[in-house]
Amino acid sequence: MNALHEQFIAEARELIHQATDDLIAVEREGFALERIDRVFRAFHTLKGSAGVVALPAMGLTLHAAEDLLAAIHAGKLDTGSVIIDQALACLDQVARWVDDFETGGALPPSAGEDARSMAAALRSLLSESGVTEAVKKSAQGSSATAAEGRLPKWVSRLIESQQGRSVGEARQSPAELFAFSYEPDSQCFFNGDDPLNLIRKVSRLLAFHAKARETWPAVADLDPFACNLRLQGISAGGHAELADIFRLVPDQVRLIKVPLEALRLGQARGAGDDDRAELIRVVIEEQRQVLRAADQSDDMIGRIGAVSRTAANALRYGGLQDLADAIERAHVAAMSERNAGHLLSALDQTQASLPRHLSAAAPDAAVVSRPADAQVEEAERPASRAIRVDEGKIDALVNLAGELIVAKNGISHLARRLQDELEDRELARAVRREHDAIERLAGEMHAAVLQLRMVPVAQVFRSFPRLVRDMSQRLAKKARLVTDGETTEADKAIVDRLFEPLLHLVRNALDHGIESPEQRRTAGKAEGATVTMRASRAGDRFIIEVIDDGRGIDPAIVRRRARDRGVIGDDELAALPDDQVIDLIFSAGFSTAAEVSDISGRGVGMDVVRATVERIGGRASVISRVGAGTTVRLDLPMNIAMSRIMVVSAGGQIFGIPMDAVTETVRLAPDRVSRIKNNDGFVLRDRIVPICSLAELMKLPQARPPGLDARLVVVTDISGKMIALEIDAIEDRLEVVLKPLQGLLSNARGYAGTTLLGDGRVLLVLDLKEILP
Amino acid sequence: MSVRRGDDGATIVLDGRFAVEEAEPLLQLLQASPAACLDWRQCTHLHTAVLQVILAAQPQLIGPCGDAWVQRWVASNAL
Repeated sequence: MNALHEQFIAEARELIHQATDDLIAVEREGFALERIDRVFRAFHTLKGSAGVVALPAMGLTLHAAEDLLAAIHAGKLDTGSVIIDQALACLDQVARWVDDFETGGALPPSAGEDARSMAAALRSLLSESGVTEAVKKSAQGSSATAAEGRLPKWVSRLIESQQGRSVGEARQSPAELFAFSYEPDSQCFFNGDDPLNLIRKVSRLLAFHAKARETWPAVADLDPFACNLRLQGISAGGHAELADIFRLVPDQVRLIKVPLEALRLGQARGAGDDDRAELIRVVIEEQRQVLRAADQSDDMIGRIGAVSRTAANALRYGGLQDLADAIERAHVAAMSERNAGHLLSALDQTQASLPRHLSAAAPDAAVVSRPADAQVEEAERPASRAIRVDEGKIDALVNLAGELIVAKNGISHLARRLQDELEDRELARAVRREHDAIERLAGEMHAAVLQLRMVPVAQVFRSFPRLVRDMSQRLAKKARLVTDGETTEADKAIVDRLFEPLLHLVRNALDHGIESPEQRRTAGKAEGATVTMRASRAGDRFIIEVIDDGRGIDPAIVRRRARDRGVIGDDELAALPDDQVIDLIFSAGFSTAAEVSDISGRGVGMDVVRATVERIGGRASVISRVGAGTTVRLDLPMNIAMSRIMVVSAGGQIFGIPMDAVTETVRLAPDRVSRIKNNDGFVLRDRIVPICSLAELMKLPQARPPGLDARLVVVTDISGKMIALEIDAIEDRLEVVLKPLQGLLSNARGYAGTTLLGDGRVLLVLDLKEILP
Repeated sequence: MSVRRGDDGATIVLDGRFAVEEAEPLLQLLQASPAACLDWRQCTHLHTAVLQVILAAQPQLIGPCGDAWVQRWVASNAL
């Protein structure tokens, strides 16, 4: 896989996503030209890239899709759901091929066949749905316009300017006439386009005019690579040919049907002039031949005189006094310098300007320059300054920065020792100062490196519009997805792990939360439901909410089911307030769906959500109001590379406790501790908190018997349950890079990971959820 | 293809097929000598960008243009 292929794969996926989003938006919000435009461009670029990496099957499919979109763009085709479906199916197919290409470096053998059938399916939409109808209608429409004498001025001008030259051709085989006005994108030269080449392909061109869109700037200011042309013409080659020729630039071309009568009218009006113009043209052409033959020969002076006289006379005959005068001037110049060049070029110019002078040209004010939308967009879009870096390289950098922090912690330790033990205070302070500088730099560097791993949550969100669309279709529900805060960033490791939990949440919302359209109507709600995915930052936490405006979760149903399934003890259940009851939906083996559906409801969804979220240091919670909807909130860390831990000692050993599990530390006087059943506990703000000894949990000897001294506990909050962990002492608070247990230890339960302390000791960081009862 | 000054120094001669990248050198020549004539008889194909330079600078042309299509549809109309 070379760099080109890698780039192709990345870009193709990007384009597929973008086109999918836009198609769904079109389906939901109705036809919007700029969206169709973007989809078309995406398909077009995909097709181009497929050509570059030599995937003809993909190119074939995309070509057909492009035609379909061009028809939609031109307003010949409605964006019905059948069409959107097919376009999405095409994108799916292309996405599968991109996957195949990534894994195998080639398309599967069946690709050719698949491509043909997909292209056929796309084309059948083009032919069967009313395209032909629509074309007919629009043709009728424009001829009606023409009959009322309202052809655009530029078209009339084209007709008039070309009298006698090629209308004969149209008369020979009266076919449909179409006028085109093509304003190439100003950046088109950079895309390798040669707009004139398109016009050259027009098989039966009757008239053509190339002129400036905006008045030409001074030659000194001309930008040779910004296209400022408007190319207009009339073709007798039929609509299909023009449509095909301008297939790739539909946004830059206008086609207008020209009734044959318009052409004949123009002819009749200009017939007399026309013959004269032809005569003059012939005469001038002859004079040019004469002059060219005279090149370097002796009788040049004589020829110059004769030629200019004849030409000037012919021009005066046509009433073209100023052209005649120009020839006379060129004559004088040519004689004085004995150089026929002046006269020759004057003749050339005359020849070129003849038609203009013989027909009264209509003013061209009607055609107002309209900057192509695409152009504007191009100008507004800031140039992308991103570089693609392999994830592995960034991870290596993150690891190194992490090691640097560890090394820095080592120096902290030394610096403290120096301060305590060294006689030379000055030296100790100097070391301390240097240490502080390194600490600051290492911290900044670590933050900057972590920033590299920050990605917008849009990466996960973007798959969902499509998913919601397909699911709500399958469930016969009306739902739209609103995403908010897509630009919120979090560590890639977090964002990458979000897809699965979000998938479960969205499925649940659609399947269980959202009612059927009838039910919604009965409940006095809008038929179309809204599922919102919202990302935001709250301090150093990264919050994702999935909100639906469905039926909400009924605590009574949850209670019943929890009892049926034995999710929780009866007593405990009875004691739970309603808002905590619904939290039970996160328990393993819980499902509120009346029946198991193929979308969700196997009762695994929500506990997977909580487990996944907690594994990356987050919490999941739910708020719901019956009849009004449900909000599931995921409270996540911004990154998982750095954890804040508390170093505690118990049973003669030290352990790390993740700070995000710790709510507070309390020193308990013996009289605050009471014996409840077989357990010690104490009352904290009206709640009874059981006390567990960490040394006991870790099967270590108690450092001291629970006696009369005050006891130190760390109050932890695990999934809403408060437990106090008794420890001997708090040693330190650190920010560390947590490393997962590896090798033989990788299966050891109860540990979230390890980290290296400044003095070289290995600190085991506990996974409280695993060890607490 | 080539853009060169004619022997007389006052003419710019276009010879051969003209691709998009010729637009700039041609423009520079025309900017340097605004009065120069342009001899496009030997030019067999013109890219739009090159033609645009000619349309904008409007030099005196020595024709007919060697690109028959341009001669037929552009030289006799727009210039």
